[in-house]
Amino acid sequence: MEDAQLAAMLVRRCVAGDAAAWEEIAQRYHRRIYNICYRFVGSADDAQDLTQEVFIKMYRTLKSYDLERGAFMTWVTTITRNLLVDHFRKSKQDRMTESLDTAASEHEDGMPLSERIPDKAQPPDAQVQSREVGQTVHGALQKLSPELREAVILRDLQDMDYKEIATVLKVPEGTVKSRINRGRAELARLLQRTYKQVM
Amino acid sequence: MSGQPKNGMQCAEFDALLSDALDGNLSGQKFDNFQSHSRSCAVCGPLMAEAEAGRRYLKSLEPVEAPPHLLENILVATSGIDSFRLASAARAGGQISSVGDTWFDRLQEWAGTLVSPVIAVARQPRFAMSFGMAFFSLSISLSLAGVKLSNVRHADLRPSAIKRTYYETSGRVVKYYENIRFVYEIESRVREFKRATTPAEPAPQDQDKGKSPKNNSSEHQEQNQQRNYSQGENQPMLASSPNDPPVVMSMDTNRRYS
Ligand SMILES: [Zn+2]
Repeated sequence: MEDAQLAAMLVRRCVAGDAAAWEEIAQRYHRRIYNICYRFVGSADDAQDLTQEVFIKMYRTLKSYDLERGAFMTWVTTITRNLLVDHFRKSKQDRMTESLDTAASEHEDGMPLSERIPDKAQPPDAQVQSREVGQTVHGALQKLSPELREAVILRDLQDMDYKEIATVLKVPEGTVKSRINRGRAELARLLQRTYKQVM
Repeated sequence: MSGQPKNGMQCAEFDALLSDALDGNLSGQKFDNFQSHSRSCAVCGPLMAEAEAGRRYLKSLEPVEAPPHLLENILVATSGIDSFRLASAARAGGQISSVGDTWFDRLQEWAGTLVSPVIAVARQPRFAMSFGMAFFSLSISLSLAGVKLSNVRHADLRPSAIKRTYYETSGRVVKYYENIRFVYEIESRVREFKRATTPAEPAPQDQDKGKSPKNNSSEHQEQNQQRNYSQGENQPMLASSPNDPPVVMSMDTNRRYS
């Protein structure tokens, strides 16, 4: 695979002390990692912070990355996913502490994104701008449980194969497929409720 | 889902084949069985329709553009690690890992041009703050140690004079706070204060002493660590504590946890 060979070459150059190689790695992968983070956490700010964290972690552990062991993209996605788990748990804890402090926050930021999904019932005709549909789908995605969300993001948005996803999530392939089915179906149900009509 | 076989296929098997079917990777007898199960099963039929619709929704999502400064920020943040490593290696005895040399230098040099104006700005309030804190701590400890601030008021407040006052009284202060960390804090603040007020002096070796060397060992376990979203509810935050972000990075990011 072209991509894997290029990545392996870049990593080798990078570990050998080539700064340009690191720049190229960042150049080639930052958009993809940002997209995973953005689709998972929902907010651009958090996604940006998380993407930086991913690269810092990558940078620190690049030397320990075993070129023989697996695809670079799988490795990078694993780092990303682990940080997303950390982020999710942290923000969940924060939300719990917050709800103890203030019964009901008027602050919009205090509200989980999942509750900010627009509830306008719109007919899914061709005139509805794809941008708006995108926003709605993105909002609905945030309502999925994290296990289902990450599965469909990696499969349908990142086009990873089931085996790679199983490696990243450290679950059997059968579990991956089942989560993808449930994630897709749950998303469709959420959106059908929003549109009150089957697309 | 019932385990009842319908048309030669159980619901569990249908579930296992569904994603392949939607990918268009099912054929032959398997595909026929799959099709007839989806038509006859009240659970799997709707599941397939929903999964198909959900897949279409997801596929309609376009990749988003990364924010304009993300790449820059990444490079600056990671070269911040370099300068830190350099500094700690120098402190440890001038040994820099053989891998690093050229590329640490080059990255640091490159980042330096980008970052140094920012750092220069950030240093001003930091040192002003240190000065304020040092004087505040000093005045509290002096008054507690029996030195009235009113006596000092008319004294020379030039840095050197303050330094002298400090050394003259620190003996007394130490007696009061012999076992209290506070003293060390005052002393380090005054040291920092001295450094800030005497720029002509050669830079001390321990400029970065606030930062302790990063523990990298956890990162090597990273890949083998099993993580899930619900575990660790009542665990300490250990597993979720990321490494301290480097100074450079935290300056231009607004870290939120909501
Ligand atoms: Zn069935």
